[in-house]
Amino acid sequence: MTRVIRLTVNGTSHDVEVPTYRTLLDCLRYDLGLTGSKEGCGVGVCGACTVLLDGKMISSCIALAVFADGRAVTTVEGLAEDERLHPVQQAFVDSGGFQCGICTPGQVVSAKALLDAIPNPSDAETREWMLGNLCRCTGYYKIIESIRAAAQRSRP
Amino acid sequence: MGGGAALGARHPLTFTQECVIPVEPERLWDFMMEVPKVAGCVPGVETVEAVDASAYRGSFKVHVGPIRLALQGTVTVEEQDRGAWRARMRAEANDRRVGGGIRARMSLTLAPTQGGTRLHIETDLVVLGKIGEFGQPIIKKKADSLLAEFARNLQSALATGVKC
Amino acid sequence: MNAFEYRVPRALDEALTVLREYGEDARVVAGGTALVTMMRQQLVRPGCLVSLRDVQGLDRIEAVNGALRLGALVTHREAEVSLLVRERLPVLAETFRRVATIRIRHMATVGGALAHADPNQDPPVTLLALGARVEIRGAGGRRELSLGEFFRDYYETALVPGELVTAVTVPLLSASSGATFLKFLPRSADDYATVAVAATVALEPDGERCREARIALGSVGVTPLRARVAEALLSGQRLGESVLRAVGEAAKGEVDPLSDHRGSAEYKREMTAVMVGRALTQAWEAARRSARGTL
Repeated sequence: MTRVIRLTVNGTSHDVEVPTYRTLLDCLRYDLGLTGSKEGCGVGVCGACTVLLDGKMISSCIALAVFADGRAVTTVEGLAEDERLHPVQQAFVDSGGFQCGICTPGQVVSAKALLDAIPNPSDAETREWMLGNLCRCTGYYKIIESIRAAAQRSRP
Repeated sequence: MGGGAALGARHPLTFTQECVIPVEPERLWDFMMEVPKVAGCVPGVETVEAVDASAYRGSFKVHVGPIRLALQGTVTVEEQDRGAWRARMRAEANDRRVGGGIRARMSLTLAPTQGGTRLHIETDLVVLGKIGEFGQPIIKKKADSLLAEFARNLQSALATGVKC
Repeated sequence: MNAFEYRVPRALDEALTVLREYGEDARVVAGGTALVTMMRQQLVRPGCLVSLRDVQGLDRIEAVNGALRLGALVTHREAEVSLLVRERLPVLAETFRRVATIRIRHMATVGGALAHADPNQDPPVTLLALGARVEIRGAGGRRELSLGEFFRDYYETALVPGELVTAVTVPLLSASSGATFLKFLPRSADDYATVAVAATVALEPDGERCREARIALGSVGVTPLRARVAEALLSGQRLGESVLRAVGEAAKGEVDPLSDHRGSAEYKREMTAVMVGRALTQAWEAARRSARGTL
């Protein structure tokens, strides 16, 4: 049982035929070749699969691809413009906000959503927003620093 | 569903059920040793057929909300001691679709008492695979309530003489 | 996951027709956070998934006759940030805020949470303490149940095949009342509670003695439950150590927790008494402020 769905991913429209059981994550990775989003836990807890659905953070590993039919998805691949990294990405690079990198796409997508919603978040607001993005390497300090730096940079 | 349950040694869950059935031990014993008959008193049992003198094959359905298990397996009577009113059975069943199964050992003892016979059932249950990972405590609650219903069905089957 | 049909009705009546067509083989999905997780683990294998995504009219939050009515498709996040909910029933907004992560709350719906009926969830506990009622629609028409009648067992509700939750109506607090939700979770912040308590206290005109209290508990039984024996002990009482101790002990006797990785049954039982005491103290304080008009 398959279905043809229309997804707008990072601004580009795609018509994809997917089995009904295909998760959004698998659709992005295997049907569309966007392997930036990762599968960490498979139960929506770790945040490695975070994408934006109509601008809102979701766990794509527990969303069916068919749920996104007719909707707009933003993945980590959609953050940079041409050759220029998104300020959040640049801040993570400059502040050392990652080590192995496996959680980083999820961190960066979530951080972008945070700064879209709260342009100048307090550390407490940052922690609360980001609590669902787990990292086994950094101890989170550099992630918070990176987000702080990105917020400062983005201030006019 | 916050993350998976910890994998590790599977300790058997133990249940004890006790009830007084208002019939003499002999009648209760004879009824219980007819496995197809008594299996009919277990809620969720769908089919039972004899494989040989002491082994039976059957299917059994149980659900916890939207989670439905269809278990297929065997029950073997390992020991029958009518003199001592004691019997032991072993059951093994699997749900191929969910990927898991149960292994149970049951020991039944009968004792004459005021008002009939006290039936004592001790069950050791090991739950394997997917079913086991998901909520051992829920399984315990479910098995407890199944056994309680079994005891009630048994009582009414013997009281009325009607099959479960 | 197994292969399944997927239907996306555009209206409630169409959804009910599809459910009738597929019978027990169909499962309703809204946000899917619980259901898809279970399907990925092969625990649930529906023949047809009926998505309510495009059904109109089920996502409103409105004030109705001294109550708040939340449509079944309102997401946890919408309930959490809604100005109406934060103004009229802040304890409810606060409860939705405690659920898992923002990602989950963006998808998980109020109706889905109720239909899922996991006693470890947060919103049903507060909804139970507030006296919420569930609206249900099915082939037989419309009916309404109190939450106490709605929750039957672990993952089991009073919904019969072909029915779905359409809304939940939550009475506002009466005058001189306070309410609190406490989530005790010694593990990570996004987890389910080890013990959750929602308490409401309504005061007598003297502003000191309790007229009526409600204590709802989560994660300590097969459904969220009201500790009615404990509640009754508060009638006419002033807030005090010995009252709270007695109420806590009574609440312990009304729970039947399961041991799991969030705590042993004994630990959860002990923490029930502790958390009930704290929740009542907070609710009482809030009720006093409300009585004095200084809220």
